[in-house]
Amino acid sequence: MAMHSLADNPAPASNGHEALPPNDTAPTLVTPIDLLPSSSAYSSLPLPPDPPPPPRRSSPRPGLEGLGLRRRGGWGRQAARMLTKFETKSNRVKGLSFHPRRPWILASLHSGVIQMWDYRMGTLLDRFDEHDGPVRGVHFHATQPLFVSGGDDYKIKVWNYKTHRCLFTLHGHLDYIRTVQFHHEYPWIVSASDDQTIRIWNWQSRTCVAVLTGHNHYVMCASFHPKEDLVVSASLDQTVRVWDIGALRKKTVSPADDILRLTQMNTDLFGGVDAVVKYVLEGHDRGVNWASFHPSLPLIVSGADDRQVKLWRMNDTKAWEVDTLRGHMNNVSCVMFHAKQDIIVSNSEDKSIRIWDATKRTGIQTFRREHDRFWILAAHPEMNLLAAGHDSGMIVFKLERERPAFCVSGDTVFYVKDRFLRFYEYSTQKEVQVAPIRRPGSVSLNQSPRTLSYSPTENAVLICSDADGGSYELYIVPKDSAGRSDYLQEAKKGAGGSAVFVARNRFAVLEKSSNQVLVRNLKNEIVKKSPLPIATDAIYYAGTGNLLCKAEDRVAIFDLQQRLVLGELQTPAVKYVVWSTDMESVALLSKHAVVIASKKLVHRCTLHETIRVKSGAWDENGVFIYTTLNHMKYCLPNGDSGIIKTLDVPIYITRVVGNNIFCLDRDGKNKLIAVDASEYIFKLALLRKRYDHVMSMIKNSQLCGQAVISYLQQKGFPEVALHFVKDEKTRFNLALESGNIQIAVASAKEIDDKDHWYRLGIEALRQGNVGIVEYAYQRTKNFERLAFLYLITGYLDKVGFMCKIAGQNNNLMGQFHNALYLGDAKKRVEILENAGQLPLAYVTAVTHGLTEIAARIAAELGENVPALPEGKSHSLLIPPAPLTACGDWPLLRVMRGIFEGGLDATGRAELEEDDEAAGADWGDEDLDIVDASEVVENGGDGFVDVEEGEPNEEDGEEGGWDLEDLELPPETETPKASGNARSAVFVAPTPGIPVSQIWTQRSSLAGEHAAAGNFDTAMRLLSRQLGIKNFAPLKPLFLDLHMGSHTYLRALAAAPVISVAVEKGWSESASPNVRGPPALVFSFSQLEDRLKAAYKATTEGKFPEALRQFQSILHTIPIIVVDSRREVDEVKELIEIVREYVLGLKMELKRKELKDDVTRQQELAAYFTNCKLQRVHMRLVLASAMALCFKQRNYATAAHFARMLLENSPQEAQARKARQVMQACQDKEDSHQLNYDFRNPFVVCGATYVPIYRGQKGDVSCPYCGSRFVPSIEGQLCTICELATVGADASGLLCSPTQLR
Amino acid sequence: MATPDLLFNLRNLFYLGAYQAAINNSDVPGLDADAATERDTIVFRSYIALGSYQLVISEIDSSAATSLQAVKLLALYLTGDKEGAISSLKEWLSDSAIGSNPVLRLIAGIIFMHGQDYNEALKHTHSGGTLDLHALNVQIFIKMHRSDYAEKQLKIMQQIDEDHTLTQLANAWLDIAVGGSKIREAYLIFQDFAEKYPMTGMVLNGKAVCCMHMGSFEEAETLLLEALNKDAKDPETLANLIVCNLHLGKPSSRFLSQLKLSHPDHVLVKNAASSDANFERALQAVA
Repeated sequence: MAMHSLADNPAPASNGHEALPPNDTAPTLVTPIDLLPSSSAYSSLPLPPDPPPPPRRSSPRPGLEGLGLRRRGGWGRQAARMLTKFETKSNRVKGLSFHPRRPWILASLHSGVIQMWDYRMGTLLDRFDEHDGPVRGVHFHATQPLFVSGGDDYKIKVWNYKTHRCLFTLHGHLDYIRTVQFHHEYPWIVSASDDQTIRIWNWQSRTCVAVLTGHNHYVMCASFHPKEDLVVSASLDQTVRVWDIGALRKKTVSPADDILRLTQMNTDLFGGVDAVVKYVLEGHDRGVNWASFHPSLPLIVSGADDRQVKLWRMNDTKAWEVDTLRGHMNNVSCVMFHAKQDIIVSNSEDKSIRIWDATKRTGIQTFRREHDRFWILAAHPEMNLLAAGHDSGMIVFKLERERPAFCVSGDTVFYVKDRFLRFYEYSTQKEVQVAPIRRPGSVSLNQSPRTLSYSPTENAVLICSDADGGSYELYIVPKDSAGRSDYLQEAKKGAGGSAVFVARNRFAVLEKSSNQVLVRNLKNEIVKKSPLPIATDAIYYAGTGNLLCKAEDRVAIFDLQQRLVLGELQTPAVKYVVWSTDMESVALLSKHAVVIASKKLVHRCTLHETIRVKSGAWDENGVFIYTTLNHMKYCLPNGDSGIIKTLDVPIYITRVVGNNIFCLDRDGKNKLIAVDASEYIFKLALLRKRYDHVMSMIKNSQLCGQAVISYLQQKGFPEVALHFVKDEKTRFNLALESGNIQIAVASAKEIDDKDHWYRLGIEALRQGNVGIVEYAYQRTKNFERLAFLYLITGYLDKVGFMCKIAGQNNNLMGQFHNALYLGDAKKRVEILENAGQLPLAYVTAVTHGLTEIAARIAAELGENVPALPEGKSHSLLIPPAPLTACGDWPLLRVMRGIFEGGLDATGRAELEEDDEAAGADWGDEDLDIVDASEVVENGGDGFVDVEEGEPNEEDGEEGGWDLEDLELPPETETPKASGNARSAVFVAPTPGIPVSQIWTQRSSLAGEHAAAGNFDTAMRLLSRQLGIKNFAPLKPLFLDLHMGSHTYLRALAAAPVISVAVEKGWSESASPNVRGPPALVFSFSQLEDRLKAAYKATTEGKFPEALRQFQSILHTIPIIVVDSRREVDEVKELIEIVREYVLGLKMELKRKELKDDVTRQQELAAYFTNCKLQRVHMRLVLASAMALCFKQRNYATAAHFARMLLENSPQEAQARKARQVMQACQDKEDSHQLNYDFRNPFVVCGATYVPIYRGQKGDVSCPYCGSRFVPSIEGQLCTICELATVGADASGLLCSPTQLR
Repeated sequence: MATPDLLFNLRNLFYLGAYQAAINNSDVPGLDADAATERDTIVFRSYIALGSYQLVISEIDSSAATSLQAVKLLALYLTGDKEGAISSLKEWLSDSAIGSNPVLRLIAGIIFMHGQDYNEALKHTHSGGTLDLHALNVQIFIKMHRSDYAEKQLKIMQQIDEDHTLTQLANAWLDIAVGGSKIREAYLIFQDFAEKYPMTGMVLNGKAVCCMHMGSFEEAETLLLEALNKDAKDPETLANLIVCNLHLGKPSSRFLSQLKLSHPDHVLVKNAASSDANFERALQAVA
């Protein structure tokens, strides 16, 4: 392989390590300067040094390097696309160094300039131009604001980038300096030079502390080991050397020794003890350009002019070659291990960067450039960033995307982290690992999941990646597997780089080659194919059944079912699509823009960013929150945006809940960032005209600042801004702008300068607020204007007053003016006279016919009486009659300012009190505004309708000419044939068994038969099991059971509905087509409720009602079905309870009917006490029996009841009464003989209400409710349950399938 | 790319039971003759579904297309002229020129299905040809309790267009009919409709039926009351409400009398009447 490639490309000159390959003729690159410095000049050993480098082109104009930023498409077509973050175009880049924390990179150029770039913002921060000739080595200090550079001028310079100064220069090397590097800990710099030496410098003492000799050709690079006391160097002498500098470190415990050691150094030069060669690695058969340590393992990688990359291993005693990586077609310029991944990165003069698998030692990827040879590589010490310098600039790039694939669904976000699918619950902030996902088959870059789509109902996850040229994997996660990390599942796979769920159980896969989507079901079967309307390179979800298709310059929403384009929008290439929760709005994120559109892709606004947009999410108010590389920002529905906070590292927002921003970081960790949302909430409220919110925010929060004020001013809300502003001048301006003259006056008073009064006057005049105009003129003592104001407003007396003032001020002109305004000729004459203008006074007097005065003046003037023009008619200057003085002008439109409520002339103090009332008013205004906008909308709609209507009509007309009649069905033949075939072959299946029939086949439960409508079998069952004879009370129950047994499903219109049997005990896992028993409309729990109601009625003494309830329970029980044996016992217990009550209540009602037979009354009351009742009822029964007996003077029995009552923990009142009764009855006899012997246990006959004492023979019972009867009742209907025949044979209650087993 | 389906919305509205909306949105421009006939068919079937039989009978004159004539037959049948409708139906079906018209066959299927003559119905519908016919077959087979056959019909529909509204609906019917875990799927299908299209009484009823079969009668009640709000006279809503209230132990008599008044020939009303007689008969038998 290697031989072959060497044969293809003539080997370059061994020393010409920068020579252009002979076949490279790209003229743009071969500038004479580029070729000058090293290639031809060095053919022999460098000592003594060549004459100083020839004079170089003066450095380019500042900023020239900055041209052509972010150039795109520089890569050859066959190579994979690199994740380029930043590119520059400049002279050849020979040295690169990342800043450890800031987003900065140093690039040292062949032209002698060192550039410092902000690669995140893409700006040139600084340039350092003091080296003479190419600068090949440059390095940032890890902690100090320093960097070091070394150039062809033999100088090592240490710079402070903050002060933009070169601090000092280290002299000593005798030839070009290739690389320079700070030690991570000690104040050392290591430098490699063409003078065949490596030097270690102390930059604090600014001295050389060691000279490492041994190479016998140019040393191309030298670098410290990141942890150990080692230096590795590479040289054109075809070796790589590892140096031990342990001794040097020991000596440098005290840096002050350095000066002393200066003398020692010379001895070191020859007898070198500080730094000794540990290993010489020989294996390359041409000059080695680069060697570097592995960050943690004892490995070295080197690259040489033999086009090979070699991997070396070392231990304490030796070092050996491990492997050779072949593939580069020309000199390898630089090579290094990747700090975080198990890969090696190399670049070469063959214009490619190659990525190698460090363990398998195979090439993974090649990035090629068309015209530029690569010279240098640099890795970011912390982040996953690399930089490469080439002939015409440099690039900052990364190898793998760091954005975790995620998908938000409801309260959870699903994402992929470390080859595991996980989810995070927002409400609990808990992370759960769901399932492992497949490792990509081939080792390659960027194979990790790129997008993720989730179907919540099916719990299915679709993961797309670039693996195998774009593929998806479908995982269906069992609901119970959450948290079980051992669960491994076979995913369903397919090709297609873009796949997304479009419905609960459907997903669409983009097939780029044919520009169509394949809709697949969860079994990964193709359900449908649909061509796409635009040349699509990615698809996104856009509501059920819809796809958002993304092309290079546009997006479209496509309805997969109708195959209709629902909306289309021109956008820059979209990368991510974020829908609002209500699916009404969508944010389309592209590299440098955010486009907000409606669900039909109607454009709402576009925001442009200078740096990359990373992620976004909608908050519940319709504000879109998004992140760029370094900011979190908001975007309001109208397109206003602003920064929420600055970010140190990129994050990916997944969800916004109020002030809480949930996001994923690059390590796949979920984070919660609390932000201050008040600014955008405020702006949103303003935008939505929710002035009540605005007001409350103004009152309650501290939002302020110039930004908000100017925002308000810009957006036409100067009156709102008034609330923030303290500065009177700004307040004044805002007040004028918002026309709030009162505030303006207040501010003008505070400011009190002429200019402001003047402006106030103008505004007040504009508004016709005469009072304030007057006030402003007074304050500025602008009497002329004031007088004119008085004139036009009709305050003539005030004009007169002004006239007087003018007189006092000796303002003759003013006085005269005012007299003119007043039309007061006498006054004018007087003024003129006083001013000594006698002739004028005379003329005036004459003209106005003031003959007396004229005569007097004429006398004074004597001979100088002016001659008046003869024969000319004159008109007198009489000012027009002013309007009646009317104060302020009425304002035509009384617009209540939205914030007027809070801003009375009295000022800010009253703000609080006014708010409430004002709020109410705002409400009204709000409505008005809404109405107005509706009107506009409606109007707009109407217009559109009209426009659309016309072509439709035309269509209709055309349609009308369709020659319908001529298109007679041409294919009548075929269907006929098929019709015949159909009737000939088809045999309709025999009907199946209805579910209700299945119910009855196995069941012996009467309720189930009744539900199925098999009333006769139900009756027979009841008759057999419970001896039931009277079914009349059961009729409504049977009917209800049957009616409730089926639901009704409308299928095709006008076709008969489908009735569906309702089965019991449904569960998620029940298998279909296995019929369960019917779900009965009566349940045991209902009976329990009814029992409670019956108890309540009993307590309240509503006996007939209670009796009805108890009996209905007894009537329902025969058709009840319960699930367990335990419940069967409960049902049986219930029968007994209810039976006792029915008996007792019946006796009680009977007793009430008996008015005269007091003995029988007492007996019935006494028997009632024999029923088993709830204690509360027992007490009532006993109390009533006691009272009855006491009243009838049956004292002994009454005393017995009293005693029993006391045993039944009665309430205090009852107890007192019972004690009184006992007291009263002491030793007294009964006056009536009752058939009641409480000492002898008995039951009461349910029909005759006579006691059947224990031991008495021949009693019969009800086969259902178990009531007892005297023998004569046998064969009759049980009076208690009213269902069964007393004494009938019966097999017993059957109310649960468990009884049958 | 295929031409857009102009009647897509109309059909969806009709299948999902938004009959009035279907009628209101029937003014679709740019239809060719076939599509216009189909549109009219849908409109008149919607009227029938709304109970406006006379309107259909009077609006369709003898010059109208076969499928419309068939629809008119259905209206005639439903107004009570059963013999007349069936005899013309049989006559037309035997006419080789129009006998294979899918709408005619569909109507035949529906009419014979009303007469519970499933064999006769299937004779005309079993060969399918349109999704409507297949859906009717599914329905007939469900009524015959032959879900195995219904499933085969559904498979055919799924092959034609799995995402078609009718296919989804038929799928839901079958899911409900076979019960068990499928009920959940039926529920999800109705849920999908609810999300995608305006909510209709039919969809609400479908969801409610699923709920009832899953044992959650409270949720079913909410859904049914919502459906009742949309149409207070919808027979299925009333019938299902009766069933639901029975299970909840709530009084249902008012809904029952309402249903008896408005739809005296609804299955539930008929069943109630017949089971009354049934009870008396059983009483005689047992006594």
